[in-house]
Formats: sequence, C-alpha cells, structure tokens
Amino acid sequence: MKKFVPFLLIMALSTTAWAGNPVAEEAKAEGKASFYANITAIEPIVEAFGEDTGVKGEYTRISTSKFLATVLTEFQAGKLMADVLQAPLPVMELLKEKGVLAPYRPAEADKYPEWASKDGVIQQFGIEYVGLIYNTELVKPEDAPKRYQDLADPKWKDRIVMANPASHATTISWLVGLKENVFESEAEWMDFVKGLAANRPMFVKSFGPTPAPIESGEKAIGISMPKYIITKAPAPLDWARLEQPLMGTPRGIAIAANAKHPNAAKLFMDYFLSQKSMNLLASKVGEYVLYPGVFPPIDGMDKAKVIPIRELSDEELAKWGAEFKRIFEMS
Amino acid sequence: MYAKRSTLTPTLIAIVGFLTVCPVAMLVIGSFSTNLGTLGGFTLEKYIQAYSDPELLDIIVNTLIFVVGSSFLATALALFLSYLNNRTDIPFKFMFRVISIIPMMIPHILFSVSWVLLLNPSNGIINLFLRQVLGMEGALNVYSLHGMILVEALLDLPIAYLIIAPAMASFDVALEESSRVCGGSSLRTLFRITLPVLRPAIMAAFILALVRSLASFAVPSVIGMPGRIYVLSTHIYRAVSTGFSADYGKAAALGMIVLASSITLIYLYRFMTREGEKYVTISSRGYRPTVIRLKGARYPLFAVVGLLSFILIVLPVLVLFYTSMVPYSMVPSAKAFSMMSWRHWIAVINDPISLLSLKNSVLLGVGGATLGIFLSIFVAYVIVKVRTKASGLLESLSFLSFSFPGIVIGVGFMWFFVQTPLYATIWALLIGYIATYLPYGVRPLASAFVQVHSHLEESSLVCGASRVQTMRRIVIPLLVPGIVSGWILMATMFVRELTLSVVLSRPGTEVLAVQILRFSEDGLWGRLSALGIIMIFISTGLVVLASWVGAIFKPIQEE
Amino acid sequence: MEIQIENLCKRYTSGGNTINALDEVNLTIPANQIFTLLGPSGCGKTTLLRCIVGLESPDSGEIRIGGETVWSGKDNIYVPPEKRGLGMVFQSYAIWPHMTVFENVAYPLQTRKTDRNVIREKVAKTLAFVQLEGFEDRPATKLSGGQQQRVALARALVAEPKVILFDEPLSNLDAKLREETRKDLRVFLTELGITAVYVTHDRIEALALSDSIAIMDKGRIIEKGTPKDIYFRSEHHFVADFIGRTNLIDAVVTAQEPSATIVDCALGSLRCAPLPRTNPGDKVVLSLRPEFLRFSDSDKDGPTNRISGRIDSLVFIGEALEGEVLVNDTSLFVKVPPDSELKEGDPISITVSPANCLLLTK
Repeated sequence: MKKFVPFLLIMALSTTAWAGNPVAEEAKAEGKASFYANITAIEPIVEAFGEDTGVKGEYTRISTSKFLATVLTEFQAGKLMADVLQAPLPVMELLKEKGVLAPYRPAEADKYPEWASKDGVIQQFGIEYVGLIYNTELVKPEDAPKRYQDLADPKWKDRIVMANPASHATTISWLVGLKENVFESEAEWMDFVKGLAANRPMFVKSFGPTPAPIESGEKAIGISMPKYIITKAPAPLDWARLEQPLMGTPRGIAIAANAKHPNAAKLFMDYFLSQKSMNLLASKVGEYVLYPGVFPPIDGMDKAKVIPIRELSDEELAKWGAEFKRIFEMS
Repeated sequence: MYAKRSTLTPTLIAIVGFLTVCPVAMLVIGSFSTNLGTLGGFTLEKYIQAYSDPELLDIIVNTLIFVVGSSFLATALALFLSYLNNRTDIPFKFMFRVISIIPMMIPHILFSVSWVLLLNPSNGIINLFLRQVLGMEGALNVYSLHGMILVEALLDLPIAYLIIAPAMASFDVALEESSRVCGGSSLRTLFRITLPVLRPAIMAAFILALVRSLASFAVPSVIGMPGRIYVLSTHIYRAVSTGFSADYGKAAALGMIVLASSITLIYLYRFMTREGEKYVTISSRGYRPTVIRLKGARYPLFAVVGLLSFILIVLPVLVLFYTSMVPYSMVPSAKAFSMMSWRHWIAVINDPISLLSLKNSVLLGVGGATLGIFLSIFVAYVIVKVRTKASGLLESLSFLSFSFPGIVIGVGFMWFFVQTPLYATIWALLIGYIATYLPYGVRPLASAFVQVHSHLEESSLVCGASRVQTMRRIVIPLLVPGIVSGWILMATMFVRELTLSVVLSRPGTEVLAVQILRFSEDGLWGRLSALGIIMIFISTGLVVLASWVGAIFKPIQEE
Repeated sequence: MEIQIENLCKRYTSGGNTINALDEVNLTIPANQIFTLLGPSGCGKTTLLRCIVGLESPDSGEIRIGGETVWSGKDNIYVPPEKRGLGMVFQSYAIWPHMTVFENVAYPLQTRKTDRNVIREKVAKTLAFVQLEGFEDRPATKLSGGQQQRVALARALVAEPKVILFDEPLSNLDAKLREETRKDLRVFLTELGITAVYVTHDRIEALALSDSIAIMDKGRIIEKGTPKDIYFRSEHHFVADFIGRTNLIDAVVTAQEPSATIVDCALGSLRCAPLPRTNPGDKVVLSLRPEFLRFSDSDKDGPTNRISGRIDSLVFIGEALEGEVLVNDTSLFVKVPPDSELKEGDPISITVSPANCLLLTK
C-alpha cells in the first residue's frame, strides 16, 4: 500500500485549474471531445476529464487491426468522428501520411523526453512494453529467466505461451527489436529464436489472450505485457527481471485535422498528457508512460530500462512474419 | 393494393439485393483497388498475392476437413436429438428444447474458451480428471482438428436442430411403417426412407452449418491457432493483422473463395431439392405421429442425451459462472473456491457502458428479429413456392453477406454505411444484422413452406381469398413453428452478434458482444463471464417470449 | 393363412383416463377370405390391425399367423413387422415421395434380397395387375389419388404375401372412384385367393367387399358373420343399427311359436322371425329395415303384419323417396320408389313379412 501514497499526493496536487483558459472555454462550448484509441481501459481518464473540464469525453475503442481501416474509411468519406486519435506509433505515422492528423504541440509535451515529440504532430506518451510474465505458483523467482536467452532453455519446453510470431505485428517487431537492440550478433539472436521455437510455445492471436493460460497454470511463462500484473491482480503473475532492457512499440496521440471539436480536441490532448492522466494510466492500467517520474506500481519497474523499438514497415513485418513462421514451424 | 406475384419477386430482389449486395460490392471494389480504403486505381495484385501463397492449399484442405467434419457432426447430432424428441417416448422432452437453444446464446468465444479450460492438454479439467482420478496416460488435446470439429459442431448444433426438428415433427410415420411391413429392417428404413424423405431439411441444416463454419472465427482462433491449425478464416485474419495498415481489400480477395464455395453450395442445394413437391409431408388431414416405445433403451438413450446436454449446457455455463466468481483464471481447487466473490458482477452492473449495451442489444434482438422474420416470410415464400430463375437469384442473394467471413463483411458494411447518413447509428447495426443473418430467418421458414402443400393454398384461393388473406389465414398458422424457430435464431444471434458490431458500433450504440470483446481483449475473463451469463438470461427471456407467443398462434396442438 | 387371436388386450392412458383399445379380443380370421373389421372410429379396429401387422404391441394375449406365434404375452414373443412377411395398404397410402413408382413397388422385393431381373419381372407383372403399366418411371408424387392407391396395393402384393392388410384404403378417394376401386379390389383379392384383413368404418364397403365381417365396438368384437348374416340376422341392437338404417322399436314377447315369435309393440302385434331363448314377457327390440316395408293398398298380402299409418314427410333423393310414416304416434323411416304418386298426409298401409321382422335382445 505504501508505494501508492506518493501517487495519491501527486494526484491531489496536480488538479491544476483546467477552467479559465480560453481553449477550455471554447471547448466547453463545443461540448465534447471524441477520442479513438486502441489503448484499453482508459475510462478513468475520460471520466476525470469530464469532471475536471466540464467537457464530455467520448471514448471509442478500436483494435489495432481495424484502426487504420476504420479511420481511413471515415476520413475519406468526410465523416471522421474522432477529434483525438491514439494508436501505436506506426499506425499514427501512416495516418499522418494520409493527412488525417493536425499539428499540435501541447505545453505538457515539454515534460516528455525530446525523442517523444519530434514532429510536432504525434506525441508519444507511453510504450506498449513487452516482458516475460510467469506464474509465481509454478516458477520460483530464482528460476525465472535472467536474460532473454534463458527462454530458449529446454526446461521451458511446452510451457510457453506467446502471440503468433507469424502474424502478430507487435510480437514480430519485438523479436526484430531484440536483434537490433539486445543481442550482440545476428547469429546469437538466431540461436535464441530457434531455441524459442524448439520449446514449442503455444500461439494465441494477440497479447490479450496471453495471460489467461499463465494465470490458470496451463502454461508457466509467456511473452506478454507486465501491465497484466496490475489489471489481473490478485493473479499469481510476476515479471522476469532481466539484465537486458524491456522493449515495446511507442504509443502516440494526436488531434485530427478536421476535428469537429478542435478546441475540445486540444484540451483533451493537454489533459491526456498531464501528470494526473499519466498517473491514472500507470496506476490503474499498469501502462509504462514517458512522463518523468511516473511508473506503474509494479515492483521493480521504476528501475527497469524500457526502450522504444524501431517502427517496421508493413513489408518488413510481412517478410519477418513469414520468416518466423518458417522457423517456428520447423520445430 | 398488394404486390402481386409478378411484382413481389422483383421487389424482394431489390430489397434483399440492396441489403446484401452493397457491402459485398464494396468489398469487391476494395479487393481490386490499390487503395486501402475503397476507391483507388485498379489492381489484380491483391488476388495474385492472396492466391499465389503456397500455403493456401494446406489451408484449404484443413478448412475442408474442419467444415465438413463439424457440419456433418452437427447435422447428425441434430437428427439424433430431433428423432428422439419427436418420435420416441424418451423422458424429459423439455430438455431438448433447452439443449437446442442454450448454446446459441453463449458467445462463441466464451464457449470455445470453456472448452480450452476443460480439454487443454496441460491442465484441462477433463484431462486432470482422466489422469488423476482414472490414472490414464496421455491427454485429450483440444488444440487439434478433432477438437475444432467437436466444438464447432456443438456450436452449430442448435441451427441444425431448429431446422430439422420441425420437419421431423411433421413427418408422416406411415412412410416408415409401410417400409417395416414391406420387410425393411429399422436400419434399412432409416437409410432408405426416413433420411431421404427428410433430405430437404437435412440438406438445409447441413449447408447452413457448412456456410456458418466456413465463416466461423471463434473456434479457429481460440482452438485452432494454439494448435497451429489454420483454416481460411484465421488465414484471412493473419492477412489483415500482420502489419499495421491492415489491408481488407486483400482479405476480401481471399474471402471471395469462401463466397464462391458458399454460393456453389446453395446452388447445389437448390438443384438437389428442385422437385419441391416430392417432399410435401403435411397434408390437410390431421394425424398424429405414433410414438416409438424405446422400452429398455429409454434410459440409456436418455443418458446419452443427458450427457450431451451436460456437455452442451451445464459444463460451459458452469465454467462461465465459475470464471465469473474467481478473481482470475484458475483451475478449480480449494483455494479457488475460497477466493470466490461477486466482484466481477458488481463491476459489470456498475458499468454504464455495459448497461447501455444491454439495452441496445435487447432492442436490436427484438426489433431486428421481428423485422427480419417479416422479410424472411416473403423471401422464403418466393424461394419455395415461386421457384423461377428470379427466385433462385433471390435465394443466393439472401445468403450473400452471410457467406462472407465475418471479419471481412463487417468492413464491407462499414465501407457501405459510411456513404449513407446511417453511419454510426443504431439503424446501421439493425440493417447490417438483418442483411447478414437473413438465412437464419429464411431457412426455417423455407423448410416450413416446403411442407405446406400447394393444394392448401389453392383451396383457399378458390374460396375467394386474396393472396394476402391466403398467407394470413391459411399459410401463416402452418408456418408458426418455422416463424418461432427463425425468430429465436435471429434474436439470439443479434443479442450476441460480434463481427459486424465490432466494426459498426460507436459510442452510444455499444452492444453486448462488443463489450464482451473489450473484456476479452483486456483479458478480463471474470467480467466477460458475468456479462455472458447476463446475456444468456436475456436470450432465455426472448426464447420464452417467442415460444409463448408461438403457442398462442399455433392452430394444431403438438404433442 | 389363418390368423388366430387370443385374449388380446391393449390399454392406453390418455389424459389420466385408461382406454381399453382392445378388450379380450378372441378372433379367428379364416384363410383366403376377405375379412373386414368394421366399427365406428375409436372402436379398436385399427389397433387390432396394427397389432396383427406388428406396428403395435398388445399388453397381453397371443397372435398366431399361419400357426406361427408372432406375438405372445406369456411367452414373451415379438416378431417385428419386417419378419412377419405381410403386405399392408395404409390409409394415407404412404407412398414414398422420393421414389418412382418402380422403386416403391420394388422395395419389398429388395428387402428380401431378390434377384434384379426377378424384381423387374415381378414389378412389371404386379403393375400390370393393378393396371399401372407404363408408370414405372413416374415420380410417385405425380400420380392421382386412385393411382397412388393402386401403387400402394401393388407394393403390398408384389412380394406375394400370404396375408394382406388394409387400413381404410379407400377413405381418401372420392365417392365414384371409391365404388369402382372397391369392385376392382374385390376382383383382385378373389383372384389372388389370399387372406385379406380389411379395416373400415364404412358399412357399404364392408358389405360389398367382404367374405366375413367382424363388428367391433369399444375394443370388443360384438358379432361376426357373412355380410348377409350380419345384415339380416344380427343379434345385437348396436350391430343392426350400425350395419344399415333400420327402425328400432321396443317390444314385448307375447308368445313363442315354432316358426315365429309374436311380439307386442307400438305398431301393434307382429309376427317376427323366431328369437329362441325368450319367453313371453321378455323385453326385446324389433328391427324393421325400411327396404322390407311394403306399401299395399289391396288386401292381397293378407292380414299378417299389416300396419296402418299416415305419411308424415317425404323427400325426393333421386334414387328413392325417403320419409316418415306415423303409426300410432310412432314414426317409421320408410323408402318409397322414386316414381311413387304418394304424398304427405296420405293414409297408407304397410305390410312386412315375418321373416324380415328381426328381434334383437336388448
């Protein structure tokens, strides 16, 4: 309980005066801000936004695989209903290319790392971090992997669950990210991938279904997201403290070019990037956010190194997907 | 006054065509377009990519085994159950109605997950039981083609049952009796007389199950993917999910093979049943099928049915309820029971979006099914009784969006609705539902129409009644069982509809299944199960309502 | 083949009531005869037929066909219908809609594993017999009612069963066709010389077709005999009434003579056909069939059984004039030749021969 005290304090202090500035007044007149996002369980932020600003936040959840199709369809028909959009960085980049997004740099952006807002359009605020999650009833902390390479150990044979490396874009990017950021050489990395394949992991369609088999003990460990330790509490889940950094796809947010509620859009983006929102995101959903000093309440996560991975183009994803499919099917 | 036969068919073709062709046309355009959205430069690239994949052959073979296997099993089980129910003195007949309905109310994804909890090779409950209690070696592996076939068959069983049972109920038993007297054994009678006479209903059930399992995604993704068994629907999913700019045009290109097979199947079905009059089984004289005394086999057979209902209803619902009570996915144990609480239920009941989605789903279920059945009556009438080239076209149209894989057709509807003011309204969902699931209304009604002898209609026409009156006074009362079946199929489908809803629902038009999907994407199985059970209760209410209304209008008492 | 039925019982429960469908039925159906079970609906005749053919099982008793026990309650014997080697024509014909005429008729032979050529030959012969040559390839549903009926008959006959059973086979035909088919059927069956058990509720059909008739009511066989026996010499009130229109009048025996029984009734004192085992003072019922009532204005018939009355009503029905004659406030149903000059209100004198005054026990 103790570790929550600082958060509560910060939250209490951070209730800045949202009313009063001109954007807020205009936004109030516009009435609402529509928010399309792939990130899950952010209702608390949307609610808090409504309470603090008097502008209604409307959250539409669109999964990554349908995000681009939905937004582009609406955009091309001139019916984009979103004022603010949030998606994995590669999707945001594509939307920017199509002219869906408008430049806007909130004041709060200054508090974020410089690399997180390089173009003045897309603001990166978090990392969809991937880790090795294990069942604490089946695996003792000392037996958990210390390095990624440990996952290739035959002791994990038939005990791993992961999203399908042939099709799940984030997992593909993550595997390629290991090659580029973690492993010393490509050969060493290839040994790891082949070793992992030889352990015959069970495939599911995305990260969503990865924690259930670990919780229930069907599998002992998985390539999954540490945020589930928060959202699935009190499930017996913990993350493997690795010597190497954790990696993930950056999450971006931006306002829409033809937003129906342009001021509300700005206000929402401001609010979303505020420390209060980021605290909520970290504490309620277990997200890894880029706001300095805000960490998810997962033991040891404040000390972990979490790095963004390079965006892979769809051609690269397809190429590597096919490659992983071949490697994993051989075993 | 009323549309005469000459204008009825074109009117229906226009309505049904508008409903089903538009989204499919958008998909066809998309599949030939360079653009990710709809219109763009012409290209064949998407087809070349989709069909030059060397893996495709394996996938097609898997798909065939999966689809034919599960449809066969579902139809055989439906026949077995409806035979026992309608023709024998098996006890506790009310159970059959329940067996046939309940699995339709359980979201397929939940049903599949329950089976994973029961039958996964590591710690599936049944496997633990076999190993620890019976000391058996090895494990039953649900992550296999067999497992997929089993679970899909159980999911498609209700559809098959609701189509076969009415035909079985109106079967003239003298046809079987005369075979027995002619020296045919019970088995010969079954294969030479009973099954061939019931062929239209059996074929309808089988084909509907085929089309349904071709488009099925829950079982292939939850059970097939972990077993690394890919069928067309998961192959298509892979095509759209690999990469961030999901190309639904390519998915649509792949979907065309499914569409083509479905349309072929429908034509095949029409060809095989083209002599509609052959299968007239209701004549105007009242008769009562004699009940076959099972005697010694009564309780063993009931045990089989009991086991089936246990597997179909009790087990998944128990697993659901259990999951809704424990804090996270866990194998039943003393610890699990000590940690049970109502927390997920409380969370769901306090969630305003869940409540809104409940309201919307009930509205769509009742309104959609009612409108859908109304349209289905006319469509089925034209398909069965008019039987011209145009009515063949109408039948194919009614199957069009139904036979497209769900993840793709949803996008087709989105591409279509965004061009209209209906986009992002609840009407878009309503229209999309009716258009996609029209066969659920048309099929049971068509089987019912097949059984209404044209003499019955003609005698009424001679009596001076107009065609409308003929429909209302003579035909509709005979169709009541079909109407009730169709309404139930549609209403329960709409209450749990996912594939379209997930693309078309927007704030304010959330529906149950979308909310369930959100919970599943967040891995919140507890809330998902709680909402799932609420959904089952709602569907049960709708089924009871439909049966009650049906009983009021039914002219002849059954059983 | 002879059919023997002993102490057959079958009960149904329906809505809490127990119904005796068959109540201690004892019956011998002689070989090579057309035997009809006649009775009102619900009398148990169809149940009895279905028990013989094996589609239903009685509760107790015994059935033997040609000496072989096919059902026995006490010995626990049940031969299923397909092993009894019978032929049957159903009320709805039960023509299989998914087969052609040939396939329908060939079926009983196929179940007996007959050689293909023999099948073709026998089907052709049987179809010729029922006058359906050339219909082989017709779908069974594309036939008229009469043709379907003959397909059903051909199917029942083709395997040359020793016994053929009919369950109201003519009830779905229109009146004219029914008459013709009835005649044909009698010819067919007589020609074949096999045992035929025929169930009907139509008395004319039964009388015209049968060698013997058994009348059933409430699960029991009431009377058995040739059509003429049943018609002229039935012993039961119910039978006399059921087998044809008759005037039933309460009477009291006044004297027993060797050649006649004298009764007193509302029509006066009448000489009747002798009813043995009755004594003066016994209450009986007099049955006077309208066709035996003779109208006479002269005295040439003599004074025996002369009844005087007045025509109360008269209706022209084509083949006759039907009406009622009032005799001492008792109404008599009468039939008059259609060309008669009689009209309502005319006084009339009726005679009836003592042989046609049938006395029934009450």
